[in-house]
Amino acid sequence: MGKFIVRRLVLLLLTMLLVSMAVFLITEASPGNVARNVLGAFVTPEQEASFLAQLGLDKPVWQRYVHWLFGSDWKAARKIGLRLKRLVTEKGFVEWWAIDESGRPVRWKLQGDDLVAELRQPDGKTVRKIDNRRWESDPQGGWSFWGVDNANHAVRWQKGTDRKVWTFIMGSGWKQSSGGPEEYLPLKKGFIRGDPGESLRTGRPVGDSLYVRLRNSLVLAGIAFVIVMPLALFLGLLAGLKEGSIRDRVLSVGGMMFSVIPEFATGIFLILIVAVWWQLVPGATVFGEKAPWERPDMLILPVLTLTLIELGYVLRITRASMVEVMRSPYIRTAYLKGLPYWRIITKHAVRNALMAPITVIMLHVNWLMGGIVIVEVVFGYPGLGKYLLDSALYKDINALEAGAMILVIVAVGTQLVADIIYTIINPRIRYT
Amino acid sequence: MNETNETIDSATGTHSAAVDTHANDVIQPEHDVTRPGHWHRLRAGLSILFASRAAVVGLIIVLFWVSAAVLAPLLTPYTPLEQDWKAPNQGPSMAHPLGTDELGRDLWSRLIYGARVVLVILPISESVWLPGGTALWGVFVALVVGTTLGLVSGYFGGWLDEVVMRLLDAMMAVPIILLFLIIMAALGASAVNVVIAITIVGTPGIARLVRSLTLDIRTREYVRAAETRGENPFYIMFAEILPNARGPIIVDAMLRVGYAIFAMGTLGFLGLGLPPPSPDWGSMVAKGREFILEGSPWAALWPSVAIASLVVGLNLLADGLREESMRYQ
Amino acid sequence: MDSTDQFHPAVSDLKRQLQNGEISRRDFMRYATLLGVSTLAAGQMIGLLLPRKTLAADIRRGGTLKVSQQVQKIDHPARFSWLMPSNSMRMVFEYMTLTGPDNITRPYLCESWSASDDLKTWTFNVRRGVAFNNGDTLTADDCIFTINQWLNKDVKSSLLGLVGSYLDPGGIEKVDDYRFKLHLKRAEIAIPEHFFQYTAQVLSHRTFEGDMKKRPHGTGPFVLDTYNEGEICIVKARSNYWQKGFDGKPLPYIDEIRFIDMGGELAPQIAALKSGEIDLIDASDNPGPQIMKAVNRDAHVQVMPVATATTRVMRMRVDMKPWDDNRVRMALKLCQNREKILALAYQGEGIRGQDFHVYPKHPEYCSKPFPRYQPQRARKLLAEAGYPNGIEVNLAVGSEWTDIVRYAEVLKQDAAPAGIRVNIQTMPTSQYWEKWTEVDLGVTPWTHRPLGTMVPNLAYIADADGKPVPWNETRWVDPEFSDLLATASGTLDINARRNIFCELEEIQMTRGPIGIAYWMNTWMCSNKRLQNVAAHPNLVFLFNEAWLKS
Repeated sequence: MGKFIVRRLVLLLLTMLLVSMAVFLITEASPGNVARNVLGAFVTPEQEASFLAQLGLDKPVWQRYVHWLFGSDWKAARKIGLRLKRLVTEKGFVEWWAIDESGRPVRWKLQGDDLVAELRQPDGKTVRKIDNRRWESDPQGGWSFWGVDNANHAVRWQKGTDRKVWTFIMGSGWKQSSGGPEEYLPLKKGFIRGDPGESLRTGRPVGDSLYVRLRNSLVLAGIAFVIVMPLALFLGLLAGLKEGSIRDRVLSVGGMMFSVIPEFATGIFLILIVAVWWQLVPGATVFGEKAPWERPDMLILPVLTLTLIELGYVLRITRASMVEVMRSPYIRTAYLKGLPYWRIITKHAVRNALMAPITVIMLHVNWLMGGIVIVEVVFGYPGLGKYLLDSALYKDINALEAGAMILVIVAVGTQLVADIIYTIINPRIRYT
Repeated sequence: MNETNETIDSATGTHSAAVDTHANDVIQPEHDVTRPGHWHRLRAGLSILFASRAAVVGLIIVLFWVSAAVLAPLLTPYTPLEQDWKAPNQGPSMAHPLGTDELGRDLWSRLIYGARVVLVILPISESVWLPGGTALWGVFVALVVGTTLGLVSGYFGGWLDEVVMRLLDAMMAVPIILLFLIIMAALGASAVNVVIAITIVGTPGIARLVRSLTLDIRTREYVRAAETRGENPFYIMFAEILPNARGPIIVDAMLRVGYAIFAMGTLGFLGLGLPPPSPDWGSMVAKGREFILEGSPWAALWPSVAIASLVVGLNLLADGLREESMRYQ
Repeated sequence: MDSTDQFHPAVSDLKRQLQNGEISRRDFMRYATLLGVSTLAAGQMIGLLLPRKTLAADIRRGGTLKVSQQVQKIDHPARFSWLMPSNSMRMVFEYMTLTGPDNITRPYLCESWSASDDLKTWTFNVRRGVAFNNGDTLTADDCIFTINQWLNKDVKSSLLGLVGSYLDPGGIEKVDDYRFKLHLKRAEIAIPEHFFQYTAQVLSHRTFEGDMKKRPHGTGPFVLDTYNEGEICIVKARSNYWQKGFDGKPLPYIDEIRFIDMGGELAPQIAALKSGEIDLIDASDNPGPQIMKAVNRDAHVQVMPVATATTRVMRMRVDMKPWDDNRVRMALKLCQNREKILALAYQGEGIRGQDFHVYPKHPEYCSKPFPRYQPQRARKLLAEAGYPNGIEVNLAVGSEWTDIVRYAEVLKQDAAPAGIRVNIQTMPTSQYWEKWTEVDLGVTPWTHRPLGTMVPNLAYIADADGKPVPWNETRWVDPEFSDLLATASGTLDINARRNIFCELEEIQMTRGPIGIAYWMNTWMCSNKRLQNVAAHPNLVFLFNEAWLKS
């Protein structure tokens, strides 16, 4: 058993690796351009190029994948020659600093031809000083320097190049200088070191948004799960008890009907009827920074929509399983032994009939996630599904990858749990 | 990996379809050793079909939509594109039995021409189309690819099996909606791309199903016999194993067609369906939705009902067939 | 107030024109304020009352306003891509001028200004006694810093294309702490309007470092409390705002505004507005009649309409076949059945357009006949252009602009008799913006701008090197048109300008690259408890004096 679990965990990691590569490649191949999405329609090509460079999107795809997975700070630290440190400020902003020779955090910026160091004091304030000694002469005859800027990039600044640029310095006005930032390396720790990066779409650390979104989705899915499962199992057993009876037909066909009406249609008609015409419950979810459980009335319609979709599916699996059990020889034997009807049902049939649905339900979690995406869109629910949908449309690779990884863990993890439950209720199966 | 483990795998093999209810009872390859003639087989099949009331109801629903699609031009005086700018967003009336949409087009006409797109024609461009509906093509291509992968993987086994299955596992671990979304965002909206998306999403499930069937059938005597005769492995796979696995595959395919129709609806809803003015059911719902809260629910209602009824029909048909064929044995 | 000699010399001309009925009161207000006359003084000159004030006794202080708005990524206001983020941030940051719901631009952080006779030198006086929310005093340095940010290439502001076309960094002169001068490369009348572009928020030259979230130091009535992208933005009233309310205490009346991100889907937002969970939907980036139609019979919701110059432009790339031939362009334009398009695409909630980018309520609009739907003439034109069997064209549209999709569907239907077979290519709206300047035929949304010269200067001319300007999506450059437009941009006299516009409109109508089928009305739909607000043509939020009924 232990060996089996270890094997499955290794497979999980392998699957995650494969999926993350595939998502990276497909996103890469798809049309669309983050710069246009973020900066708006009216950017010029130069602005676009500089934006892409600052995000590190001008680098080849394999390099970006490596940075995403393992981080880029180790690479930047080698170029800068100083240790780098990731700080979270009081207001919650993530900042990268280099640690200078005397152990103080430092960043730089270029003012005209001067390199200005910003030294972070223990109280969070910064002190500035000219730091031109760090320039190193480069083979082209100019000067260059790798450092950290105030927007979490490692930057190679240059001066003394042919490029003449005008920069605006407060206090002294516009000045002509001869260089500027030449190359950017956005700093991140990498996914396997616990940093999924910053969302390109919102500019926020993916982890922050994802936590709230995942929580909200889990609440929605959890409530739906708790309502659907007992109900569906019960109705399924009831339907399967006597195959072909009116009760069976009504329940299984009824369940099927609801499960095949597309959830976007169910959702909007529920809004129209229950929220707009009858005005019973809110037709939308508006949480602000509140948690979903603080407004349970707003969860009613989304949960109802999910329930309608999911109920029929589980009901029919349970029914099929129950039908099979009721046909099986041991039930017939029990009859022949003269055991009372309800005893046969409760003692023999139900236990066996529930085996298959429980595992299938676990495997079904993946599909449940799909239904949640649409329900979240229809009700404006701030969940993971909607976040992923937006991320996919915007080519927001960091957010997409992190979300996909979570979903893979959920999908493969529930499969594993299903297998384990299966061995517990059916001890004849052994995994090696 | 031993045989017991296979049972689990095959249970996971088909769980991806929305409306698929047979996750654990489908693995029943036909023991078709006698090979009766075509006519006999057809009669046997039909008798199975008519023995199940569910299957008959399903068949009637499906046939309704198929004939509505084929005969569409005869069933309505309007074309699906004819706009009446004096009468947008109207409820049912004598002139328009189901009402009109936001451009004053007849909804009944759009509905049955929409059934064409699903079941009868695959529009390649404005003027070129292939016979066979978009959903059918998607499932068919997925069947071809998935069956081949499943046969090869199950028959040869070993590292090939391991690699193919791991890749398919990875694909199945990605939520279907996300997979659809990434693919459609990458390819752009068109009927052919919808076919491609349905194919990619459907292939892993079919491959898994076919693989588990192959694992079972390849131990049979007639396969052994063919191997001893020294037949080409591909001959064995496609001529010996595949025909004996066709029952579950056909039932699975029917459910998948239902799922593909559902998926086309979802894509249309997300704005990734067939380009306008195609009377694609999903896009019809997506566009009509805007007017529901304004007080004109008809344009969104009918295509939703159409999707639901056709999928129910296919499900009933598949369910009935499966149950009766099991009893038949 | 008869002595106008303290004002710009043109003011007395304006007064005479007003008396002779040559210009409307609105035009007079606009041009008088443009020339530095305060709104109050201008209003007194013509006896025009200022916008009605509610009875002071009704006004209530306090309350929280809840707005549904996508909380987008922001860092630099000059880099805002859309109006939406400017709407939450304009509670915190303010503008040098203010273009009101009546399209008249008034002094704001700059309390007055004056222009030289040739309209090439502008002097702005900065309002005294305005403090940033960190305690610093607003001075000319802050305005100069802000303008320099626009002109700084590294900032990547869309204002660079707009303001940069007539102003170099060297042309900004600080006169004293409360006065600065702009020396322009060419005459321009629209500077006060440009100062109210949504990207033109005034920044603190002392503390701004590229990210407004980190140091949200603005002069506005609210301070930034929380900004969680994709979730929520909260602003709270400050105590020492420079404008005073009816009771002599500083504005604002509202305590707190919460901008809640509910995504782009309208249905849940409408449901939330109807149930009172939110008070207002920010529709500034996607105006349309859907919200209004859904709530206009709702007892809790007030609907405030406004006519705008926001429009959908069917644009043809004149450097690409077949649109390089004016006869083909004309043929497609003739296929627009304007009444039908307006009725079906926009539910009739607007006015018809005439294929030139000037809106009937622009001060310089010159009346022209409405082109009719003439498929047969279109077919003949195509044949003359060498396409006797018609042509097949691809029309790119963004799928989330549902009115554009309907416009395209109607056009497809109506162009068929002319032999033009239109293939509609839908794409997610974000993908349309990626190639809006590149596609050969597409429909692009253009937002309302208060003056008729503003859009043509952005979209239908070439830069100094003769290259089409960045937003010239059609590449159409017509020397005669460009010259006339330059003249118009430097002509203050409204009748003279209208005469030039008669020619400009004629040129664009007969050989231009665009079809404009309709101008869109828009609506601000809010809960009735929100008081003292009006719908702005750009749907920008002006909530300084708004208050909430209990």
